[in-house]
Formats: sequence, C-alpha cells, structure tokens
Amino acid sequence: MDGFSGLLHGFSVALTWYHVMLMVVGVLLGILVGVLPGLGAPNGVSLLLPLTFTMDPVSAIILLTSMYWGALFGGSTTSILFNIPGEPSSVATTFDGYPMAQNGRATEALSFAFLSAGFGAIVGVLLITALSGWVTQFALKFSSPEFFGVYFLAFASFVGLSGAPPLKAAVSIALGFSLAAVGMDSVSGSLRLTFGYDVLLAGISFLVAVIGLFGIGELILTIEDGLKLDGIRAKITPRDVLRTAAQMPKHWATLLRSSIVGCWMGITPGGPTAASFMSYGLAKRFSAYRANFGKGEPDGVIAPETADHSAGTSAMLPMMALGLPGSATAAVMLGGLMIWGLNPGPMLFVERPDFVWGLIASMYLGNVVAVVLVLATVPLFASILRIPFAIIGPLIVVVCFIGAYTIAGRPFDLWLALGFGILGYVFKKLDYPIAPLILAMVIGDKAEDAFRQSMIMSKGSLTIFWSNPLVTGLMLLGLVLLFWPLLGALRQRLRPSPA
Amino acid sequence: MVARWQAELGMAAFLAVIGVITIIGALEYGVGWSPSGPEPGAFPFYMGIIVLLASLANALRATLPLLRTRLWAGQAFLKPEQLRLVLGFTLPILGLVIASLMLGLYVGMALYLFGTLVLQNRYPVLKAGLIALTTPFLAYLLIERVFKVAMLKGPLEAWLGL
Repeated sequence: MDGFSGLLHGFSVALTWYHVMLMVVGVLLGILVGVLPGLGAPNGVSLLLPLTFTMDPVSAIILLTSMYWGALFGGSTTSILFNIPGEPSSVATTFDGYPMAQNGRATEALSFAFLSAGFGAIVGVLLITALSGWVTQFALKFSSPEFFGVYFLAFASFVGLSGAPPLKAAVSIALGFSLAAVGMDSVSGSLRLTFGYDVLLAGISFLVAVIGLFGIGELILTIEDGLKLDGIRAKITPRDVLRTAAQMPKHWATLLRSSIVGCWMGITPGGPTAASFMSYGLAKRFSAYRANFGKGEPDGVIAPETADHSAGTSAMLPMMALGLPGSATAAVMLGGLMIWGLNPGPMLFVERPDFVWGLIASMYLGNVVAVVLVLATVPLFASILRIPFAIIGPLIVVVCFIGAYTIAGRPFDLWLALGFGILGYVFKKLDYPIAPLILAMVIGDKAEDAFRQSMIMSKGSLTIFWSNPLVTGLMLLGLVLLFWPLLGALRQRLRPSPA
Repeated sequence: MVARWQAELGMAAFLAVIGVITIIGALEYGVGWSPSGPEPGAFPFYMGIIVLLASLANALRATLPLLRTRLWAGQAFLKPEQLRLVLGFTLPILGLVIASLMLGLYVGMALYLFGTLVLQNRYPVLKAGLIALTTPFLAYLLIERVFKVAMLKGPLEAWLGL
C-alpha cells in the first residue's frame, strides 16, 4: 500500500470514538508523567505496557504513543514554569523558557513551546508518511548481514556522537547486550548466564530496567538536589494562544532548521535529547539576538521544542521499518510490539498495514489532541507540582514498584527494580548513558540472531560484512562513527594550536 | 565525602566484575564454532570482554590524571548532606521491597507511605494514615478491577479472602 491510500486507510482505523478516547486518556496520562519528577516518557510507557497485553495491538500502540506525546508536552511545562525539566529532552527548554516566565511572559513561552512542538511533531509525521514506503522497499532487500550492519551503525553512532564519554557508552551497550542474553537462548535452548538461579530463567525484563534506571534512579537524583519548587503561575486564555500563534510565522527559519535537526537525530538514533541541545546551539549561532539567549529569547524556546518533538515522532520510522528504535521510549514500544506478537521490521508494512497506517494516522490526530489538551490543562497539572515532594516522591516510588510487579508477576523483579534504580542513579552521576543500555537490552536478541545467521551463512567468516556494497557501506559508516572521537582528537593534535 | 575519582573507580571495578561474571557464564556454553554456527556463549563472551576492557580503561582514565598531579581531593561526588538525603530516601525503599515480599504490595505500600510521611516528614498521623490507606485501595480498584491484573498479595489479603 503506498503512502496516500495507506494514510486514508489509517485514518479510517484511527478515527473511531474508542481510539480518540484512548488518545485523550493517553495524552492526559502522558502529561501527568511528564510533569511529575522521576516519571518520564520511557518510564510511563513501561508502566502502562503490561496493562495493554490484553488489548488489540492497534489500540495499544495508539494509547502508548499518545502517552509519549503527552509526556513530551508535560516535560516542557515544568521546564518553563518550574525550571525543572520533566524530561531530559526538555532541559534545553529551561534555558530561555524559565527566564521568559520570570519576566512575566509565561503564557507566551508556554504557547510558543506547545505550538512549535506541535509543528515539529507534524513535520516528523509528514516525513514518516513520505518515507516509510521507500524505507520499507529498501529494507526488504536486507538479509541478516545488512540487519547486523544497521544495528552496528546505530550503536556505533551512540559511541561516537551521543556526547557521552565513548568508553562509557561502550560499557553501557555491552552491558545491555549481556543482560539481554540472560535466560533461555531462543536458538539453542541453553540457559545462559543464569548460574543455576531459577529466577533468571525467563531473563531480565527491559521494562524492569527502565522503571529502575529512569524512574527510581531519577527520583534519587531529584532528592539529592534538594528539590525546591518555585513555580510561576500561568493561565492560558485562547486570546493569548492566538496572539502567539500569529507571531509563529516570524520564526520560520528556526522552525524549519530545528525540524530538520530533529528529524535527522530521530531517524539516526541520536534521540530527542541530543536533538534539542543541538538545535538550541544552532539557533543561538544563527540568531540576530544572540546576546539575548539565556535571558528569555522566544527562539530559545522554539528551537529545542521543535527539534525535541520532531525527533520523538520521526524515531518511529526506523522503529517500524527496521526494528531499530531511535529513542529510549521508542525502544520500550518496540519491546511492546514484540510482546504483542508483532514482528517489527519491513515485513510489518506488508503483513499488518492496518497497524502501521493506523499508527501513523493516529500520530497526526494524537499530536493535535495533545496540543489542545495541554493548552487547556496547564494550570491543573502545574498545581500537581505544588503538592509537597514528601508526598509525591513516595507515591511515585509505589507506582514504580506496582509497575515492576505487573510486568510478569515476579516478586524477584522488585529487587531488580531497586538494583537498577541505584545503578541508574550512579550511572547518571558518572555520565554513563542509559538510553543505549535500554536499546541494547530490547534489540539484544535480534542483533545476536542477525550476527549468528550471518556467521552461519558465511561459515564463520567475518568477510560477509564486506560482501556487497550495501553492507560494506553500513559497516564503514559505523566504523567511522565508532572512531569519530579518536579522529577528532587526532585532528586537534595535528593542527597547530592557534596562538 | 565521597570524591568523584573514588566513585568512578568503584563503578569501574563493579562493572569489571560484571564483565568477568559474564565471561565465566559464557564459557560454560562454549564460545567457539560448532557445526550449527557460533556456540551459544560466543556473543555474551565478547560483550563481557568489552565491558571488562572498557571498565579497566575507565578506571585508568579516572585515576591517571590524579597520579600525575597528586590532587587526591578533587571533585566531590557526594557531599555528606547529600549522602544523608540519598540514604534517607533509598533505605525506606529497601524497607518497602522487604515488607512487600513478606506482606504483599498493598500492605507494604501502606506501611511505607505511613512510615515516610510520619517518621521522616513529621506529617500528622491522621493525614498520613488517610494517604497510606487510600492509596492501596485506589491501586486495588485500578489494577485488579479495571485492568484485571493480579498483584503480589500477602497474609492480609488471604485473610480478607481477596
């Protein structure tokens, strides 16, 4: 099914009362987890996922993706009003969003944030609509070595481009793959890395890891900072929104540039966080009001928000077409797809067009629903943050542990959640990146299968990864990205230092 | 005070041990070539090696500059008051896990909420009790009635016949 007719079919799937209701519920839950400290998008989706096991996959993915959009918006709200990023990807929004709010322009900052976020999201979905057919055709040519090449490229770009110390990124990735290998091996039936412990037979769930690493770890970090909530009150009236909307076309250059950055970082797994920082940096460099950045410049809100959301949405494209998630949240959803019995990858478009196009259509609708809802509910959700942390903190802890237990009904998972929580806290403090660990845990088995299949095809020779132009290109690009930090250091050493 | 380099070194050592454990576990299932392709331990084996080697390198990176400059105090990882805050938050969670495993999650969460609110944050007993009792009740309605998922239960639920 090609783009346009597929999309029309998708709208007929997504536009039912039941699905629109799921979008509203999803977005509201998403804003809630986005606003609350310690509960972000990956975590919220992990907590909700076990409750969708019995749902139809189309309805389930609509609920979960809507929650993701809601969480992205919720994260921006707290960035602007409280100077607390609800999500790592909305850190850059605090730079100018909070100063704007302090200067009495909170409503304007929020409207700019939500409208540009909506714009970025729609650009991301348009890109998916336009490219998915093409990417699928391309990916249908893939066999095991090419898939391994794609995975290699993705993880190499984490090491080379994510901004985290490369060796620490490497540890995160390899640790994730090791954790994915625990339990029954799907090919040979061996009980790997279980050391005779029965509780490890079924493996270590990536959902428990997400809940611990992102949820509990984040909470401990919040506590350590000695959380002070000093919120700015804001009430949004339709007139304010319209007035801000009328100013949006003036910022077309920032909107366009940030969307491109966001889409690029979403499709290559740079992720929304890197996208928002990069976009902020570029906006500052190109702005005529450079000196005003950090003091409340609208472009400083528009740039990270647009990039954040276009990265968030466009991360869905590699997730569906290649089975390769572009962000931690997309990784969790990819895990969900596999649990629902779907097989992410190019065949998904052939076998389940209703699912793929229903999801794409719901992304258009869900983001529109999200912009409207978030504008309407900002005062309500901001008031939640005024509840003392002494109550909110322990309640979030309880929700995390309920979530950890509902994944598989295993008491042992409570210990795992606590362990991952402490690990996540220390990882964050020492700059070990967490997203690649989750990605490796989710696609660990697929990557390993691709490697084993390739080895079987070549009878154990690594030259299969150089056997045709496609896989050679993927591997070469991967190697370049992997050694990018080294190349950079070398270049600096060779160049005479400017006096 | 915990210095940054101490934390870096501790983490690197911990991860190196994990790497060694992975390697040992992988060796159990063979890491070479079999007639049906790579043996099951091969992939985790190489992952364990990466974790081990990269952690050793991280340990060196954290300590070498200090050996050269002899500035052992360095950057702080955790100041005493932060440590107190972190432990004050994490230890009750440990209590929550242990209580939940013994008494079920509903009773565990009620005790945990009541304990943290009253003992740690000096909330009035009545208010804390209200929060500690309504939360498990709402969780029960949502999880078991709406989503029909079974929760970890203990003796109290058995006695109540839930």
